[in-house]
Amino acid sequence: MAKKAFFKNSGSIASLLIVLVIGSLGFVLPDTFTNDHKQSVVNAGSSAKKEIEPTRIKADNPMPIYGNWKNFTSKNGLPGDKAYCVKIDGDRVLVGTHEGLAVYQDGKWKTYTTEDGLAHNGVLAIDVSKQTGDVWLGTMGGLTRWSTGTFENFTQMNSGMPNNLIYAVTCDGKDVWVATGGGAGHYDTYAKKWQIFTEENAPMHEPWTYGVCAGDGKIFIAAWGGGVVEYTKKTKKFRDYVDPDGNMEIDLFPDDGIVHDITTGTSWSNGILWVGTYFGLSRYDGVHWKGYFDHDSGLASNFINFIKASGDVVFICTDKGLSTTDGNNWITYTKNETNTNGKAVLLTDTHSTEMTMTPSISHNYTIGVDVEGEQIWVATSKGVSQGELLKQPLQ
Amino acid sequence: MATRNYRFIGLILLVLIFHPKLVNGQDDLMYGNTPDSIFPYHNFQKAYKYHFIEPIEFYGAGRDKKPPSDLTEIRIGFLGPLEGSPLVPLGKQMLNGSMLALEQANANGGYQGIPYKLMIHNDVGLWGAAANEVVQMDDEKVWAWLGSIDDIVSHVALRATLKMEIMMVNTGDPDPTFTETNIPWAIRVISDDRQSGYALASYIFNTMQHERVAVIRANNRYGRVGIMEYAGVAVRMGHPMMIEERFEVGETDFSMQLENIKEANPDGILIWGNAKESALIVKQIRALGMKQPIYASDRVVSAEFLEIAGEDAESIVSTCQYNPKADNPKLKQFQSDYLKRFGIEPDVFAAHAYDGMNLIIAAIRKKGLNRVLIRDVLTDLKTFQGYEGVTGEIRLDESWNDIGKIWMTKVENGEFHYTASPTTQEKNYARKGKRINR
Repeated sequence: MAKKAFFKNSGSIASLLIVLVIGSLGFVLPDTFTNDHKQSVVNAGSSAKKEIEPTRIKADNPMPIYGNWKNFTSKNGLPGDKAYCVKIDGDRVLVGTHEGLAVYQDGKWKTYTTEDGLAHNGVLAIDVSKQTGDVWLGTMGGLTRWSTGTFENFTQMNSGMPNNLIYAVTCDGKDVWVATGGGAGHYDTYAKKWQIFTEENAPMHEPWTYGVCAGDGKIFIAAWGGGVVEYTKKTKKFRDYVDPDGNMEIDLFPDDGIVHDITTGTSWSNGILWVGTYFGLSRYDGVHWKGYFDHDSGLASNFINFIKASGDVVFICTDKGLSTTDGNNWITYTKNETNTNGKAVLLTDTHSTEMTMTPSISHNYTIGVDVEGEQIWVATSKGVSQGELLKQPLQ
Repeated sequence: MATRNYRFIGLILLVLIFHPKLVNGQDDLMYGNTPDSIFPYHNFQKAYKYHFIEPIEFYGAGRDKKPPSDLTEIRIGFLGPLEGSPLVPLGKQMLNGSMLALEQANANGGYQGIPYKLMIHNDVGLWGAAANEVVQMDDEKVWAWLGSIDDIVSHVALRATLKMEIMMVNTGDPDPTFTETNIPWAIRVISDDRQSGYALASYIFNTMQHERVAVIRANNRYGRVGIMEYAGVAVRMGHPMMIEERFEVGETDFSMQLENIKEANPDGILIWGNAKESALIVKQIRALGMKQPIYASDRVVSAEFLEIAGEDAESIVSTCQYNPKADNPKLKQFQSDYLKRFGIEPDVFAAHAYDGMNLIIAAIRKKGLNRVLIRDVLTDLKTFQGYEGVTGEIRLDESWNDIGKIWMTKVENGEFHYTASPTTQEKNYARKGKRINR
């Protein structure tokens, strides 16, 4: 809080401290600059120019900055405005919307619906098997496998799947995991068998699950009210992580565990487990937990719809914009309320600066994100946004 | 003079440094009608972050979406236990209350001449079935929906309703954790077990001056989560549960649990369960010769309980989310209309469903056919704050939980009699001992 209030309110003090940052290759390089130079931040797609005074700050790895946003809605290709999820799959991009699956390839959109074979038009989650290239779609009416041009549907009625409303799907080798309101499901594509994990056979208070990811030989399930349930594939054993204070209405200590038991997503990368909730963000390095709230970090909002970790950076879809962080440094992308422009706010331990984005992301209510190479795609409440890594944001 | 100035500056700095707004970004407000002295850890440690003291807004799109121009009916969803559940009697009352509200609205011209239609869904089935029902309601293009009673169903449906972005008005689930989820697509217009737990604890320990209270509860989520707030407060008041026994729904012989309780010789016994099992437990307590006062969760406030427990129901004390005998002309009219329409007396679920459905109708009348705008007006904590329904004044807190009045009820001469619950003033909860950090 103190930090945020400081940056927000103490303009004159902040101006004495100033930043920044940013170097070639589109990264925030907080430890790259010395006090010798003044630079102006110019976003490639931006009209704003800002005098900055770089200062040396501590950070090991650069933070990527994205810009040159291009937005798509129902007016230019999507079957509907509400986009739930996005997945970059080679040279195409798959977008799950309320009205069907939209596929972007060679600059054109194509839509697939129940008429083409989807289990339901509402597509909430997408993953692609690295092993087979099959696309797995978690829909509001079942799980759909899209393989060699054919759609195959798994439902409660025709398979051992726990529930038809699939909130998350992740491919892990030959296995496919789903998170549903009726439990977590594991499908072995070789044996063609389902296994269901609920409060009966896993340390969940209830079988309500909303996120699932794989990493480090483990599966991490975001269990609503039950924190995170960890499943070690080798030993087939579970353990859970919950907020130690045991009360829903408070977080007693900031870094004592998950910030809240109502978890909405998990993502693992480079030895770090990130956990999203509607109450803030958590980071776990295998030993220590660290909590982040909107009042004590650069997090856009405590209301986190989805998270995706890539390398050392986690991309956080909140109801007030897209935040990214490596745990120390933050970048948050937002759109202006009154026009299509917006900004990226860069925040380090000691400094903050803004970059104007023209245009910015499609909408601040972000629901899904994927990054691959130099591309980023963001699913929002009103369309999807395509961004690219800024190669030379500084001139 | 300089010293005095430094002291003054120092004082200002201390105030700024320790002001809660600066420490955790929040004003020093407590949640859920909870006095400081019984707020978790509050006597010992300030929390780093307090939740539910500011409402979560919905920042998504959709407010500019126009309704279809060819509508022939205005669909409102309903999700309740209508078959295959021990809660069916409650679900049917909830359905009746909802239907009556819509029928009356239709008699008054519906919405701009278009009639309302209730899209009815049963909430029992396969695990997570409520999620599938909400998806179906989305497919049916309902504008808002009402339900349910079972807390498992409500929780599963809540997450689904956020994805579908359909406003959910809950009128029957007392699980405190239901609204402790920060999901801005639901309101609850019935008091929860937090409020019941506080009222019971205050009555048991302050009014009745008990010291040693035994608990027997249903071994399901209703029992586990329902007793949670009472248990927490009892501990903070210095009276932890001396014994806690559990039973399964459908169980009829409670001798094993009651023998254990008898041996513990408590001052009083608290039962947390459905009407049927609670009534059987009351009978078996008395059959064992145990004379202790008996308290119970609000599901005993029913004709079913009185019928099964018979004379043994006498002097049982519970809570009720409204006073069905209040001198309220709206309530009396509702009771008369309900009896005329369905041939039975309305219960607590019927009355609250009637209020909840009337709120949905009023929201549509005010904002038109747009799901987000319906949500906005139902959650703004202004337009309908203090709404006078048949159940009395509906007052929501920042998590959209009903923190309006709750009532104590006692069986006297075979009938429930209602009185105001013990006040939640801090003095009633003050634990003997020194408070720290306040």
